[in-house]
Amino acid sequence: MTSALRTSLLALGTASLASLVLAADPLPPDLTYRPLPTQPLSKARAMDEAQKPAVMARQRAMLEARYDLADRPMPGVAMSGGRKAVQAGVRVRLPEGQTWDGLAALAPTDIRDRDLLPAGFMPLPHVKQTAGGQVFPNVQIEAIARLEGRDLRRFDVDHDLPDTLTPEFPPPIFLTTHPELGDVSRGQLLSIGNFYEIMNGLITPVQMEGLRLLLTPFPQEEFNQTEDRKVALPSTGVACLDCHSNFSTNAAFHLTPDVRPQAERFRLDTVSLRGMFNQQIHGSKRSLRSVEDFSEFEQHTAYFNGDQVSAARKGPHLPDRTNQVAMMAQMQNIIDFPPAPKLDPFGRLDPALASEAELKGEAVFLGKGRCATCHVPETSFMDQQMHDLKLERFYKVGQTVNDFVAIPDGPIKTFTLRGIKDTPPYLHDGRLMTLADTVEFFNLVLGTHLDQEEKDALVAYMLAL
Amino acid sequence: MRSSPTCSRSEPHPARRLGLAGAAWLALVPLPAAAQMGNPGFMAPDTRSDAKGMPATDQTNPDDVLFVTLVGAGGLAEVELAALARDKAASAAVKAFAERMAREHGAANDKLAAAAKDAGLAVPDAPDAEHATLRDTLKGMDAAAFDLAYMRAQLVDHQKTAQLLAWEIDSGQNAGLQRFAAATLPAVLDHLAVARGIVEALSLADVAGEPPPQPRP
Repeated sequence: MTSALRTSLLALGTASLASLVLAADPLPPDLTYRPLPTQPLSKARAMDEAQKPAVMARQRAMLEARYDLADRPMPGVAMSGGRKAVQAGVRVRLPEGQTWDGLAALAPTDIRDRDLLPAGFMPLPHVKQTAGGQVFPNVQIEAIARLEGRDLRRFDVDHDLPDTLTPEFPPPIFLTTHPELGDVSRGQLLSIGNFYEIMNGLITPVQMEGLRLLLTPFPQEEFNQTEDRKVALPSTGVACLDCHSNFSTNAAFHLTPDVRPQAERFRLDTVSLRGMFNQQIHGSKRSLRSVEDFSEFEQHTAYFNGDQVSAARKGPHLPDRTNQVAMMAQMQNIIDFPPAPKLDPFGRLDPALASEAELKGEAVFLGKGRCATCHVPETSFMDQQMHDLKLERFYKVGQTVNDFVAIPDGPIKTFTLRGIKDTPPYLHDGRLMTLADTVEFFNLVLGTHLDQEEKDALVAYMLAL
Repeated sequence: MRSSPTCSRSEPHPARRLGLAGAAWLALVPLPAAAQMGNPGFMAPDTRSDAKGMPATDQTNPDDVLFVTLVGAGGLAEVELAALARDKAASAAVKAFAERMAREHGAANDKLAAAAKDAGLAVPDAPDAEHATLRDTLKGMDAAAFDLAYMRAQLVDHQKTAQLLAWEIDSGQNAGLQRFAAATLPAVLDHLAVARGIVEALSLADVAGEPPPQPRP
């Protein structure tokens, strides 16, 4: 550096440092952008297929270490369609020698410094972080193969959770426009092949066209016609309702499109679309302000990891805002929650119908448990806000588990609790397997010091929602 | 790094039983048990793999090479700038931070050099142009102005290093380098957290005439 330059830098003081930073080399481009493939599909596929048993064994070992994955149904409690039992009990494993009450009595920094946060409370890794992408459960893969002859099976990974810990399939469908009919799904999974027959007479032409678009497959990062795919044959892609089965969820998962680099992208569990009519912000991180915005752009985000450059190569779908997007939104906006006969018009329990345990649970929910601060009963148990639970108070950030780097979650959208028993696993990444797990998680994170009776009452209450 | 035993997070870490706390935890963050499996679609066509499709853990890819270059140069700069800060810093908190950077980045540089050598790569022997310019600029500054400029630069450097370490964990191929990245990332994020606190206090002192910050207990 010349002395003249040095003098001028000194004169500028800290402002000069800012300009030096701007002049620095950027970080490597694949921290943000998806690289181009470097191998022929046949070679990549052979390696992926050979790796698959080890990939699945590693994930299974991680899950077994974190959770009790046993089939332990709650006696007499089924999901809304009556096809699957709700699973009972806390499934997150405690660190050796610890109790839930003992942990709840510790300061967050103690739990962090002594590495005592139950691993099941940590962000949950995708089955293969380096590849990421949408992973469908077997029930969905088999149903779409049968109904459409379309292949949703990846050659590199399978879904990783036991069937007993995922939602009933296919989920029932409730319409705001026809409460008197109850479930209109006929026990079938909506697909491009059967939707017209099932819904004709129930919905308007505009809604029908929206539904058709929501069921039409479009190219996606792992399901497309290029060499950069994870499905054996060139694929026509995926449809919105491949994850949001019957407008609910099948526990298909993905990586968030909203974070880079790849190692830090957290897992996303598919959210139900029930009650969309009352939801004002969309996307766990994006806070898009309308379901129209979300429907229009989702095929660049979930479908292509938020990478419009990659989408351009594989065939993006750019729906027409005025016509197609509006119709997709109108269809989504008539999807109702499952009936909750014990709730009054304000979302509060009717004392004449509710059990003692449910009423006690509601009192805890509204009071000591602090649940209702965000999950407001009067507004479908949402608050249209994002909140930061600051879980990183309890663990050391930057730990790597199965190639996934756990950084703080930051603010995440409040999800509704209506119909919550239907949609395990819980939290935005599906890290909690049962409602009892969610109670222990929030009891620790919010420092509410609930006793066992209060915890049990909260579970009983949530089953009534 | 390559010879150190690793464990998964699910297993009780030996250190947990020892009841270690405080700054010692940085050394105890559990490491991944093995190298990542990678996305074969993005691997070089000459990638060697075993019968189970696992890429050989001793080979490198271009991202490994770039990682060693960028993080190696950054690590050298950390130590060099820390030496400067130990001489010039006015605030006790900045001096303590610089001591820690010299100690921990010095140790990390040794580990990176060892992992790079095992991978057949060499770490840079001098900081890059960006850091050389920064060093020259800082040399001409004193007292509170130096403290603030050094710490603000540290903040950006640690942000960038954290991104590079996370990048190597998914994009690299060499197991030793990836273990180095995974082991180092929590410490770098802790440095960043401390640096953010110091910058906040220094900035406040700068604009409001507050007393300079003291070292964290």
